[in-house]
Amino acid sequence: MSRQTKLFGEKAFDLLKELERSSQTIPAFDDDGVRQVLEEIKAIFEENVAQASTYNTSGDRSLWPLLNFRHAALQRNKRCLLAYLYERCKRIKALRWEFGPIIPGDIKQALCEPEVTFFNNYSKSLAAYMCSAGYNQGLPIDLTNNLRPPKSLYIEVRCMEDYGKFELDDGEVIHLKKNSQHYLPRAQVESLVRQGILTHIA
Amino acid sequence: MSDVEDVAETQLEIDDTEGAGLEDDDDDDDMEQITAQKVLETLETAWINEMCAPEILPSQADMLELMVSQVAHMEEQMRDLDKNDFRAVVHSMELERVRYIMASYLRCRLQKIETFTQHILNQEASREPDDKRLSPEETKFAQEFASNVDEYFHKVATQYMPNQQRGEAEQRIVTPNLMSHVFLKANVAVPAVIVGVDDEEVDMAAGSQHIIPYQLVADLIQNNQAQLI
Repeated sequence: MSRQTKLFGEKAFDLLKELERSSQTIPAFDDDGVRQVLEEIKAIFEENVAQASTYNTSGDRSLWPLLNFRHAALQRNKRCLLAYLYERCKRIKALRWEFGPIIPGDIKQALCEPEVTFFNNYSKSLAAYMCSAGYNQGLPIDLTNNLRPPKSLYIEVRCMEDYGKFELDDGEVIHLKKNSQHYLPRAQVESLVRQGILTHIA
Repeated sequence: MSDVEDVAETQLEIDDTEGAGLEDDDDDDDMEQITAQKVLETLETAWINEMCAPEILPSQADMLELMVSQVAHMEEQMRDLDKNDFRAVVHSMELERVRYIMASYLRCRLQKIETFTQHILNQEASREPDDKRLSPEETKFAQEFASNVDEYFHKVATQYMPNQQRGEAEQRIVTPNLMSHVFLKANVAVPAVIVGVDDEEVDMAAGSQHIIPYQLVADLIQNNQAQLI
């Protein structure tokens, strides 16, 4: 505790560093860290308010630099904290593009509740936008498809797990079994490839 | 860039085989008849401009709508073709490419909207109705997104902060760097473009290419006198 008062903003910076360094898609929400930073902000703020009133009454100029310093520390804490949240926002958005409207269970554990709400709302507005993007034609454009410029109509894929039956647009049904290889229309299997059920082999 | 040329070439090929079938004649509110070829070209330019420009450009919703109906139309025609017919393969490849361009274009805009949400919304609010850059759908998305992020920030952090520290949302506005350099090609000769701070002027010959800060040429791109590459 005593160390914390000596080094303002250290915890906030740690939050960011950890997020930056983590190799996971999204590390667990650092509840404790965020709370500590918020407490620090509050503590600094209260100290400053107290001293500001002393300053106002006594006019003691020697307090002035200290007040400014605390204010800067407070701003920095706030900025680091919001940057932490914003970066997580970005990763959560990426999840929507990668996995579709449902968060995989293991990732969901890493999110805190407001983040799940954020994801759901984001997912909803994105879906609404994509529906309306087809305009009066009634054909929604799925923006999460066609992520890469098309090179060929068909791609060769290998199945990574037992997926079962998969029906193509023309009604043909194929069995996706583990380790089987198929030559399929790229547009229709793209989402499966992204989910890791199929891998694209050259 | 080679992809783009590729697309244009295939489109030409299709025009040869399909002939008048591709003419878009159900669009009668435009004075001039606009061909599918022209729509695609406009869309391609808009797409490349959007990808290269740091700020969001006016939405090409009309063109996009035309293209969507065109794609639907072509799909309709292709249903009669044999699956192994050479033409079917070429056509569906072409359709894939067109779809990619449309999706990529919209995605790129969404990305800008997400990054510069508040800035874009503020700008839109100050624009005349005819001058809006976002389509109504995009505006809705932007507003939802902005309130979404705010709500999240509020729930997790800002509500626990001391009062005086909250009302600084305007500090969080992300703005695009309009002075970032872009590559561009002049479509027509443009005399006396002001470059740099000291009012230095440069004449751009038609077809010439330049590297220049975006803001100085933003109006040329909007007037289609130049395009980004």
